[in-house]
Amino acid sequence: MRLVNAELFKLRTTSIWWIMGIILLPLYAASLGFNWLSSYALVSGQADGGASDAQAQVDAVSQPINIATNLYTTGQYMGVLIVLLLSAIIVTSEFFHLTATTTFLVTPRRETVILAKFGAAIIVALLVWAITTLLDLLLVPIIMDALNIGNQLGEPAVWRAIGLNALAFLLWAVLGVGLGVLIRSQLAATLILGIVYTIGTGVFAIIFQLLETYVAKWIQNLEVLVPTTASQLMLSGTELPGNPPRWVGALVLIGYAVIAGVVGTLITKRRDIS
Amino acid sequence: MTGPATDDIVVDHLTKQYKKLRAVDDLSFTVRSGRVTGFLGPNGAGKTTTLRMLLGLVTPTAGTATIGGRKYVELHDPIRHVGAVLEASSAHRGRTGRNHLRMICRAAGLPDSRSDEALELVGLTPAAKRKFKGYSLGMRQRLGIAAAMLGDPRVLVLDEPANGLDPEGIRWMRDLLKALAAEGRTVLVSSHLLGEMQLLADDVVILAAGKLIRQGPVEDVLGSMGAAQVRVRTPQAAELTDALGKINATVSPQPDGTMLVSGAEAAAIGHAAFAASVELHELTPERGDLEQVFLQLTAGMAGIR
Ligand SMILES: Nc1ncnc2c1ncn2[C@@H]1O[C@H](COP(=O)(O)OP(=O)(O)O)[C@@H](O)[C@H]1O
Ligand SMILES: [Mg+2]
Repeated sequence: MRLVNAELFKLRTTSIWWIMGIILLPLYAASLGFNWLSSYALVSGQADGGASDAQAQVDAVSQPINIATNLYTTGQYMGVLIVLLLSAIIVTSEFFHLTATTTFLVTPRRETVILAKFGAAIIVALLVWAITTLLDLLLVPIIMDALNIGNQLGEPAVWRAIGLNALAFLLWAVLGVGLGVLIRSQLAATLILGIVYTIGTGVFAIIFQLLETYVAKWIQNLEVLVPTTASQLMLSGTELPGNPPRWVGALVLIGYAVIAGVVGTLITKRRDIS
Repeated sequence: MTGPATDDIVVDHLTKQYKKLRAVDDLSFTVRSGRVTGFLGPNGAGKTTTLRMLLGLVTPTAGTATIGGRKYVELHDPIRHVGAVLEASSAHRGRTGRNHLRMICRAAGLPDSRSDEALELVGLTPAAKRKFKGYSLGMRQRLGIAAAMLGDPRVLVLDEPANGLDPEGIRWMRDLLKALAAEGRTVLVSSHLLGEMQLLADDVVILAAGKLIRQGPVEDVLGSMGAAQVRVRTPQAAELTDALGKINATVSPQPDGTMLVSGAEAAAIGHAAFAASVELHELTPERGDLEQVFLQLTAGMAGIR
């Protein structure tokens, strides 16, 4: 526990935390605005799905409860990105700033250091989740009121979405630490994670579209293996038509987090620090 | 703290093979407590690699290195037992010196107050709240020493700590390390600065191309290479040369009018002079020069590998 405390102290005593905070707040505001607009579009029935499968999806998401779960998890997309990057930086900065030597001199059992980093990243993740959720609980009822659909806070589905949101933050934090260990270079880690997270979903969607068309139909089912897709699936309010159940998404994310964590720890244990 | 019986460092058949290069080659030596031991070798000799293996940062290909009978990674709260200064630039650039030390205190379960005491010890208190990137090389070395002293360790391991220090800083460090050894601690200092080592070390371990060249007290290592000489000044050079010839000492006159005598101790020379009624104006044992001895010992083995 004192090592987790030390890791949090490390974060606190450099400028990284407030830089990330300054980035997060405007992004949160933008996400909230965007969600407001799209909810408004859905409520007033302007969104048009086209094909019947897609139309069913639009019908599903435009139910008030699904609008609510979407709104009450505002900030998730950007918050998770920040948490992912911070978690990776918790690891890579040790090598970037050559502090790994000091860290491993104080705690030569390296697996405990990595475990402490997982712990610290999870605490940071839950903190960011708590902040965005608090803002959501304050601001979203006002929006819901403006949309005339009531605040929906009595619905268990809303609270389940908020809880799952916490799980998403947590799993992405673990993923970030694991990947930070795997990609030791600070620049490479932040770039790769940032790009894959932001445009990865779209790129993979296109790849899977092509594979599905030209190779085999069943490949479509593998798209859930894309971490960002899995995360979205885990969080979506109802079982959307044509999609696998949401626990599959959670399982995929947990799988990645565990693999990244275990492989990362094993590599760190063996590596020479010089 | 339940320390082991002794604080000796024992390096036993230690080997590190990098892809092509054998950085450390079957190296064995012992470092005793209560003394300053100089770990000498040209650049690339394998000093840093050896110290990093001793501290559990680099995994040996073969052999072991122990401190008080235990490997570093087996020590409970190692920084309370062993203090290490490895490189001057291993702190986060954006963190203050004091927070760097506090971070270590937190991880090691030491009170925050230790960081202020350590800063005071190395004279960094005025720069405590300045960020590391604003520190000069000498200040970084001092911060490294402060970090090593946080846990009040019985054993100190320093890799080239004199690098970047000004003459005043070097003198300060020499006094500090000598004082720490005098308290019975074990002090192992690597360096390629031989003049400095001659002033500082009690024992030396000389390394070249990863192999042990010589180990022992400085005097012995110096004595083993060319007998010690005594500088003598006298107005009766001819008479003294005769007298010394009788005790089988060799005399070589110097340009400055003195004579360098080898093959006899100062006492024997003084006695011979007295017996021959020769007047002496100077009788000085000349300590051998570590640098010369070192260059002889490592001849042909130095250089970048
Ligand atoms: N990680 C590494 N990979 C390959 N070679 C290395 C590595 N670390 C050190 N070396 C080589 O090992 C030799 C010994 O290096 P080092 O222990 O740093 O010497 P010293 O500290 O005595 O100057 C050098 O030739 C160096 O290039
Ligand atoms: Mg070195």
